[in-house]
Amino acid sequence: MRKAWLIALVVGLVLVLASCGAKEDKSGSKNDEGGAEVKVYQFATDATYPPMESMDKETIVGFDIDFLAAVMEEAGLEYEIKNIGWDALLESVKTGSEFDGGISSITISEERKQTYDFSIPYFESTNMILVKEGSDIKNAQDLKGKKVAVQGATTGDKLMTGIMGEGNNDLKRFESNALALLEMESNGVDAVVADNAIIQEYTRNNPDKKFVTIYDRENFESEYYGIAFPKGSELKAKLDPAIKTVLESDKYKEMYKKWTQSEADMAGLLSAQ
Amino acid sequence: MNPIIQVKNLSKSFGANVVLQHIELEIEKQQVVVVIGPSGSGKSTLLRCLNLLEKPEQGEVWIEGRSLMDKKMKIEEIRTEVGMVFQQFNLFPHMSVIDNIMLSPMKVRKWSSSQARKKAIELLHKVGLTEKAEAYPSSLSGGQAQRVAIARALAMEPKIMLFDEPTSALDPEMVGEVLAVMKDLANEGMTMIVVTHEMGFAREVGDEIIFMEQGQIVEKSSPQQLFDNPKHERTREFLSKVL
Amino acid sequence: MRLEFRFDIISDYFPLFMRGTLYTLGISLSGIILGSILGLIIGFGNMSKRWYLRWPMQGYIHLFRGTPLFLQILIVHFGVVVMVIGKTDAIVAAITALALNAAAYTAEIYRAGIQSIDRGQSEAAYSLGMTKSKVMRYVVLPQAIKRMIPAFGNEFIVLIKDSSLVAVIAAPELMYWAKSANAQYTRIWEPYLAAAAIYLVLTYSLHRLLIYLERKM
Repeated sequence: MRKAWLIALVVGLVLVLASCGAKEDKSGSKNDEGGAEVKVYQFATDATYPPMESMDKETIVGFDIDFLAAVMEEAGLEYEIKNIGWDALLESVKTGSEFDGGISSITISEERKQTYDFSIPYFESTNMILVKEGSDIKNAQDLKGKKVAVQGATTGDKLMTGIMGEGNNDLKRFESNALALLEMESNGVDAVVADNAIIQEYTRNNPDKKFVTIYDRENFESEYYGIAFPKGSELKAKLDPAIKTVLESDKYKEMYKKWTQSEADMAGLLSAQ
Repeated sequence: MNPIIQVKNLSKSFGANVVLQHIELEIEKQQVVVVIGPSGSGKSTLLRCLNLLEKPEQGEVWIEGRSLMDKKMKIEEIRTEVGMVFQQFNLFPHMSVIDNIMLSPMKVRKWSSSQARKKAIELLHKVGLTEKAEAYPSSLSGGQAQRVAIARALAMEPKIMLFDEPTSALDPEMVGEVLAVMKDLANEGMTMIVVTHEMGFAREVGDEIIFMEQGQIVEKSSPQQLFDNPKHERTREFLSKVL
Repeated sequence: MRLEFRFDIISDYFPLFMRGTLYTLGISLSGIILGSILGLIIGFGNMSKRWYLRWPMQGYIHLFRGTPLFLQILIVHFGVVVMVIGKTDAIVAAITALALNAAAYTAEIYRAGIQSIDRGQSEAAYSLGMTKSKVMRYVVLPQAIKRMIPAFGNEFIVLIKDSSLVAVIAAPELMYWAKSANAQYTRIWEPYLAAAAIYLVLTYSLHRLLIYLERKM
């Protein structure tokens, strides 16, 4: 009897592993109907950044995901996207061996341009301050001397490090915006600084929390997201025209509205091209 | 005169295993009682019931007229009057010989360090180990360790001494030195209960010999009577095997 | 992997890494000390003959050994600490979570250490008229503690490494600054390898110290 159970267990395990293996096989390259090998481009993301990219059960969803789908369709290329986390994304897109690109609300910056090639900007974002109702904080400069939570490695982190000073314990960096927002709910900080899409999504979902949002265009300049490629990637030349086409289409406005629940203001984005 | 130890209808079992059955015993002051019998006969358990290292299930034990079964009785107080020497010595290995002896007088009797030290040196002299005062137990031979253990028990100035097979763990050549100390003690008038297999010692030092088997006292009489002319067949059988 | 190691990142962040290391040491040391004290109570409760003392302590040990420390840190930070003091405090939460976790492990170390001492030792002490607490204090614990030192040392080493998990609640310890450096420069190897080297120095020094202590005793 005991042996029978053991055999059943082993067989079960083998089947599970085999089915996992079968799924894995799809990556890399794929035969089209003609039998010729078609390159399947690999994209990496860090799906912890709703509404831009996040997990819905086992599927990656979000604005970036829909946008990439539209661009790849326009360019007529096969692709796959995997959620591998922020640090792994930065490292593997840099070397280019496993992933051909990264799309994960990556802000185009001079510093990053030294390590990566970027597509043309495809999304305009501004950092926003979230404070409690009745707070005396009116702009980013007021945050000096206050406790502020950000998601580490974001532009919000960078901007606040600039304002509050490097090594300031009052600037608390969290793994995700969700934790930073939870810290604020738990009265651990006076403000959260994050992308407007994130803050707006949060206040929309938590109207009872009595938080207010502050735009500070003076201290927080607009920034633009781009798709990151390894240095010297041939993919940039293939995707930039497709991105431009998608940006000018109604499709872009639709997905913008779907994910951010606000109208796209294309003026800033198009002038940044 | 009232007996210093009185045991009435004492019974004890470990699970289904009955180790003591209806023990009746009276011991007078300054008496030396030697308990003999085959292993597993309950000798050690009887001894351990006298200072409540084992809890009897039934019966009564009085030490100097105080009942051990009395809920209000503080067993620690009675134990200060009843010294015990173990087969495995049980010296405290993290303390020097003199600290082993001084510990309880200082912590229980609240003696000053100098008072306890004076007593300890006196006792070490008595057991012939003054030069080992600062040594650690691990450096002692078995015979030396057991003599220190006796000195440690005596440091509390007990009225009764219990010896639980004090020479069973010793190499044969060391048995004599320990028995000599015990003999001196008996000559000084200490009340002693000794569980042992040393029949020579029993005959020479014992005022009374108890033969136990299967948790019962089979025979209790003077050494001459018990060794030379045992009343019971079981006693005779046992003695024929050990003598 | 391209092998270019930017030492300027490490030198830039060096003061913060040192400050973080002090926090790491402080948090771990407070964690192990408080945890050992709490563990003593739990360990003794766990050894009690009374079921109403033993069961809760066993439950505690199972709870903290059977759930990830990472979750314990989050729950203490966003739940327990907020409930008690009304707001979050990363240092308090970090020390509390590590101490609560360490208590479960040290409780078992106490139990194993005490039970490893021969019964004859406590019987001899009882026969000399000592009370239960005196037997523990003068006879059993001094011997047991000596045997516990290697296990305590291991637990402390584990705790120093595990303290890196409190970076998740933004406690400004070593791992937190390593992540910050990683964030600022978008470079993985320099900050993380530097942090690893510092953790190694800490744990290896502790390891040597323990060997020295064991020989001393």
